[in-house]
Amino acid sequence: MTTPVPGTDSRDLALAAPAKGAIPARSGQQVQDQRRGPRGAGRGVLRVGAAVAVPFRWRPVVLALVLFVLLCLAVVVSLSLGTPYVAPVDVVRSLSGAGTPYDLVVRDLRLPRAVLAAVAGAAFGVAGTLIQSVARNPLASPDVIGVTQGAGLAPTIALTSGAAAVLVAPAALLGGLAAAVLVFALGARHGLAAQRFVLAGVAVAFAFRALIEVVMLTADPIDGLRAQIWLIGTLAGKGWSEAAWIAGTLAVLLPVLLWAGWALRSSTLDDDTARGIGLRPVARRIGLAGTGVLAAAMVTAQVGAVDFVALVAPQVARRLARTERPPLLCAALLGALLLVLADLGARRLLAPTQLPAGVLTAAIGGPYLIFVLLRTRGRRS
Amino acid sequence: MTALLSTRDLVVGYEGRTVLDGLDLDLPADTFTVIVGPNACGKSTLLRTMARLLTPRRGAVLLDGAAIRDLPTRDVARRLGVLPQSPLVPEGITVADLVGRGRQPYQRWWRQWSAEDGRAVEEAMRLADVAGLADRAVDTLSGGQRQRVWIAMTLAQDTDALLLDEPTTYLDLAHQVEVLDLLHRLRAERGRTVVAVLHDLNQAARYAGHLIAMRDGAVVAAGEPREILTADLVRDVFGLDCVVVPCPVSGAPLVVPALTQTSAVPAATPATAGVPVGDA
Repeated sequence: MTTPVPGTDSRDLALAAPAKGAIPARSGQQVQDQRRGPRGAGRGVLRVGAAVAVPFRWRPVVLALVLFVLLCLAVVVSLSLGTPYVAPVDVVRSLSGAGTPYDLVVRDLRLPRAVLAAVAGAAFGVAGTLIQSVARNPLASPDVIGVTQGAGLAPTIALTSGAAAVLVAPAALLGGLAAAVLVFALGARHGLAAQRFVLAGVAVAFAFRALIEVVMLTADPIDGLRAQIWLIGTLAGKGWSEAAWIAGTLAVLLPVLLWAGWALRSSTLDDDTARGIGLRPVARRIGLAGTGVLAAAMVTAQVGAVDFVALVAPQVARRLARTERPPLLCAALLGALLLVLADLGARRLLAPTQLPAGVLTAAIGGPYLIFVLLRTRGRRS
Repeated sequence: MTALLSTRDLVVGYEGRTVLDGLDLDLPADTFTVIVGPNACGKSTLLRTMARLLTPRRGAVLLDGAAIRDLPTRDVARRLGVLPQSPLVPEGITVADLVGRGRQPYQRWWRQWSAEDGRAVEEAMRLADVAGLADRAVDTLSGGQRQRVWIAMTLAQDTDALLLDEPTTYLDLAHQVEVLDLLHRLRAERGRTVVAVLHDLNQAARYAGHLIAMRDGAVVAAGEPREILTADLVRDVFGLDCVVVPCPVSGAPLVVPALTQTSAVPAATPATAGVPVGDA
């Protein structure tokens, strides 16, 4: 070994310096154009004046555009299928306000439900992405951490005890948030660390599940069935008002979601490393999980537990975008697309019998997740 | 000698057990300081407390004379880089992206990138010799490469001081030397203050400008390795009988454990080399 040896003496430094030749800029070293943003293929930086600079990768951006187009197509198809059948051209004309004989069917009967499906799916996608990032677990979703069960218990009691129908959604929202508060309280002692978070969630989920079953078994069978359908999640008979509540929640959360998209970037670092680069990981987790739980509780309160979307959308979006964590916008769009398609199937497959959309999301999303997993396995080591 | 980092009456513990009890310490600026000591002597606890990863029960860590606890963590991150013992590699992240995370303290969610970020990341990758790996996924790299990537991330932070908790653990000897050489260059060529916890006494003696030997949460000796590293100190700190000789390559103190009853047995030692081993 001929490398000069660094010693404890400053005299040695002159010897040590040329050893690896690191300090003089290496000839042939490609110094990239720094205006281009973070290094790597397929990237760019979105700039607005001097104050805003957001680096992005093209693949997720293109994916988001593609998903948006697909979502629009799916909505048009969803509006055209049914009895009566409305040609897609007439659907578009009706939507653009041209005034067609189908306005009642398209705009008043089918559009509210399709929009609800899209908005609810997007909310589930967002909730799933945030909850999975805090849980550090691709299998985490609102039902794994007890929010769904919390949101399910109150309506089950309401539906089986003959309480007013208007109480169902607010009760579900409160139930979901109560479950989340319980999970946060149980997980707080360890800074809402991933394992603790999931463990507390699973415990709360089981406890609420048991209570739901007690209520169901002691209820009138007809009421029990109504509660069961609510629990699986259905969009039948729902529309603008439910969509408005969910969209309103997402709109209020929008600034937080913009922050979350940024904060998610560092959510895969361990706590020590995160603190080292000046982050407060516990506060971050509480912010991310709180946002996700709020979205999940609100959407579950409105449409029931269609939450398989929350499990599948982030993971599929991540694999399609080939990013190291689920991209928030793509997950939301994919969730919307998935739920629009699932609800279309729920309406049409056994028409005139309506299936709960929750059954269909699992039926579509499950195999697709398996397909994506198999297809991408081995691409990355 | 000016102190960049100091501790004053530092008391740190875990659930009832006190590890550091009233520690006063000054770490010189522009120096490669190495902390050594037996397992559970509190050296990692000290480093983690100085890096604000642990909150002391009492006392303070001072960064340039100001209590680190009172400074915004983002500001601290611009002056003090930390490499924890075994950081978790985010799945699928590329080298350039991970090194870019080091720019976090300079970024905001509306301004997530600047030309300065690009310059610092390139510079850090070049210094740590990982520029050629920029587009590789970190989880496909070898342990030595990975450690250099992590160091590059802390370099991108552009801090005056760098704290590393056992940066050579789990690396083979060649990679250990590679990492230590890099830290040495940072100190020598960039004037960074480097503080590392190391297990290997001989590496500590060779690379450290300032050596701190700890036992039971207290500093037993601190100073230049050539002045403080003696057989008595090793016996005192590690309970090990040894001989300290000048290293034939660097001249730094070299700790050679003394022969014990068990280590004298093998047939390959010169004393027994010619003696036939009765087997047939």
